[in-house]
Amino acid sequence: MGLWDVERVLGLAPDAASAKAGQGLARGEKWTESGASERAIWGLCQGSGKQPYQTAVELSGPAYKCSCPSRKFPCKHALGLLLLWTAGEVRSADEPEWVTTWLDQRAARADRPERKPGEVADPIAAQQRASRRTDRVSSGMAELKGWLDDQVRVGLGGFDQRAYTELSRLAARMVDAQAPGVAGAVRRAAAVVGRGHGWPGELLEELSLIHLIVSAHDRLSELPPSLADTVQTRIGWTIETARVAVEGEKVEDDWLVLGRVIEPDDRLTVRRVWLRGATTGRLGLLLSFAAAGRPLDPLPARPGEYVPGALSFYPGALPMRALLTQTAPRLPAPQPTGLTAHQALKSYVESVAADPWNERWPLVLQDVRPARHGDGWALVDADGDGLEILPGWDVLKLLAVSAGDPITVSGEWNRAGLRPMTCWHGERPVIL
Amino acid sequence: MKGWDGLVSSALLGTDRRPAHFEELPEHIQERLGDGNLLDAAALATVYKRAGRKPLRELEPLPAAPGEDRPLPRPVAIRRLAAMLGGFQTSALGEWLRAADARGWGVPPEHLPALADYARHRAEYRPLVMAAAGRRARWLADLNPEWRYLHAAVAESNDPEMWTHGNTIQRRTWLRAIRSQDPAAAREALAEVWPTESAATRVDFLSLLADGLSLLDEDFLESALDDRSREVRRGAARLLARLPGSQYGERMTERLHSHLTSTQGVLAVDLPRRIAQSMERDGLDSQNPEGIGKRAWWFLQIVANTPLSAMETAWLKTAVEGCAPEVLQAGWTEAAIRESSEEWARALLRAESSTGDRSPAELLRLLPADEWARAVDVLRQTVDVAELVGGLPVPWPPSLATMILDQLAKVGTNRAWARLASITARAAPPDVLNHPITREPTGEEDTWRRRLVETLTFRSEMYEELS
Repeated sequence: MGLWDVERVLGLAPDAASAKAGQGLARGEKWTESGASERAIWGLCQGSGKQPYQTAVELSGPAYKCSCPSRKFPCKHALGLLLLWTAGEVRSADEPEWVTTWLDQRAARADRPERKPGEVADPIAAQQRASRRTDRVSSGMAELKGWLDDQVRVGLGGFDQRAYTELSRLAARMVDAQAPGVAGAVRRAAAVVGRGHGWPGELLEELSLIHLIVSAHDRLSELPPSLADTVQTRIGWTIETARVAVEGEKVEDDWLVLGRVIEPDDRLTVRRVWLRGATTGRLGLLLSFAAAGRPLDPLPARPGEYVPGALSFYPGALPMRALLTQTAPRLPAPQPTGLTAHQALKSYVESVAADPWNERWPLVLQDVRPARHGDGWALVDADGDGLEILPGWDVLKLLAVSAGDPITVSGEWNRAGLRPMTCWHGERPVIL
Repeated sequence: MKGWDGLVSSALLGTDRRPAHFEELPEHIQERLGDGNLLDAAALATVYKRAGRKPLRELEPLPAAPGEDRPLPRPVAIRRLAAMLGGFQTSALGEWLRAADARGWGVPPEHLPALADYARHRAEYRPLVMAAAGRRARWLADLNPEWRYLHAAVAESNDPEMWTHGNTIQRRTWLRAIRSQDPAAAREALAEVWPTESAATRVDFLSLLADGLSLLDEDFLESALDDRSREVRRGAARLLARLPGSQYGERMTERLHSHLTSTQGVLAVDLPRRIAQSMERDGLDSQNPEGIGKRAWWFLQIVANTPLSAMETAWLKTAVEGCAPEVLQAGWTEAAIRESSEEWARALLRAESSTGDRSPAELLRLLPADEWARAVDVLRQTVDVAELVGGLPVPWPPSLATMILDQLAKVGTNRAWARLASITARAAPPDVLNHPITREPTGEEDTWRRRLVETLTFRSEMYEELS
């Protein structure tokens, strides 16, 4: 195989920083045991660790393999090696065993027929993986149970001193045990500690709900299948989207986009789009994630519009999260009907009855007016019943639209209050 | 909830020291708890509590803002407004608001907070935002102290407390409002407090008398010529010079006649040899600026402050003896601007007179707008066109905008035209926005030509959407 030019190699870099780092590694003294065959190049590069990284590039793909921990693809080592090779500094050699093994595996995989969505490549291996994970989760849950029981026995008093380190360690253990959902719950509990006078009560609430997950996990086989799915989801089992698309419950409707909430974070942006079926009245949730600074996938429709299509629901006792298959272009929608504050809380209670861990719930409130509530705000319905707005949320836009008149507001409810998403100024939806 | 605090204190102290008791918990929980432990009970109680949450009561909704809303323009127009508030072509924001207001459109209320913030530090936008807010203006002003300006100033200023106890801004607002309603009352109110105000306040408040100025103010202004503060004296002189038929005008006319005579087709000037105390009292500055001699400077000021009715435009074409003609021309320019005299402005521009420290644009704007294009075409030989038209109020008359766009269309992308293009992009009136230059290719590069076409097109679409 002929040599490539430098531009071609740099064109493979995932970003400018990688390209630069790769150029820094394109020097003979950085590499040992490098070599090139007809189909691949390889070498060992001394990194910061004791063991040098093993780097190999299959040239036809190209495909890359490197033992470094970088998530960039290709990593700087693969780029550096390629650049070294384009400079003619990698000699022909016999492939070492680790390169041959890797190339053979790739060739074997390439020979296999394409998989259908949801179909498992190697059922026996997959089962083995699943059972290994089950074991790890079970031992994680046992550890968590023991820890929780200990805390209650010796007392949470003085917990504010050691909580953060201890809960962080525990959260990390739960990640190791492949239970990231529980890890998140433990982190949320850690965040409560020491905040305000009522923190011991809040902490007890959080810990008791983690305890509830652990106990439910103990009796997983006795639970109704849908509730068992909910428990699994809370623990952090993920279900492949391909499987949801094939096996999930399907509901066709014109889905009204009630609104969306975007939570930017240092590392991961989460977007929740809440939907309500025009004829079925079913609620649905579309979750999207994006690495910080990367764009989210486009909205299927603007808040306040219909998107005709089918939702495939993820399994669970409270099926909310879904995948959308759009079947027609989006349509304008009239102002939606909504609930009174009393009805809204009742709908949330029903959701908690199905899934006691449910934290967020979409609400549409009808004919509500803004009112001051302590330092914050609330929305009051025609009966005089009110729901608080999430403290600290900027209400000015909502207030300007209302000007004291009753309006329809959709929002995401959690225990701290309602986070308004969309309101209707007459028939016109306004994104908040 | 009953029994919850007991669970919390057991959890805090530890069940070793304080075993949990469940008897106080609601029966429903006890039934389901069986032989469960503290965490089981807490989980049940937590869900029980969350499910039992009740709506808030006894809230007082905000009073509704009375009145009617205007209809809204089309969604495309609303999206353009949102884009401008988001930082795209924001300089056209005022134009959008004016055009929407003129056509009877309202502004979508969700954009009012951003508009109110925008106008907070831009006083010229405030009337526009107040109009846009309509019935919501005062309602919003009550919500956010930073938007208090949305309260109509007139309604507040009728309160004399504002004048006697307000801060400087409130007192200024009050005085300005009263002056426009009842000029004499404003003058009397000012005269009453006059001796006790600081010099800076006297200068500031005095300037408000420019609105509604009449001979009734003369005595007060004459007395202000003897003020302790030089700035106040100057301010009073400036106002008196704008007052036709005043004694001040007569004094200046007398001075002019003693230094300038028109004989045998010649203007004979005898420059003053000294500056009398009475001249300084009338606001003449004894200190000459750079570039002009003391005596010429004194004479220039006399000309500038003499009523134009005492002089003749024919003098522009008369030979001058005893000083440089530019001194007289600069004085007449000042006088023409002071009296907003169309006749003198036209005569001065035609004679290609020196305008002294003033821009020719200040004379140009005194002419009727339909004469601008022709005048600019003549003046461009001697004056920088961008400087000339940059001082004109917008929007320009169509004839002027068309003439300049025609020219810009011919000159390629030379950088020298960038400033004129940028001024014209904003100043062209609505019916010239689809000038042929917008249909010519602009190329991919970021040139003034491209930006000009983008702005014209943006504004053209804006008007189209609001129609």
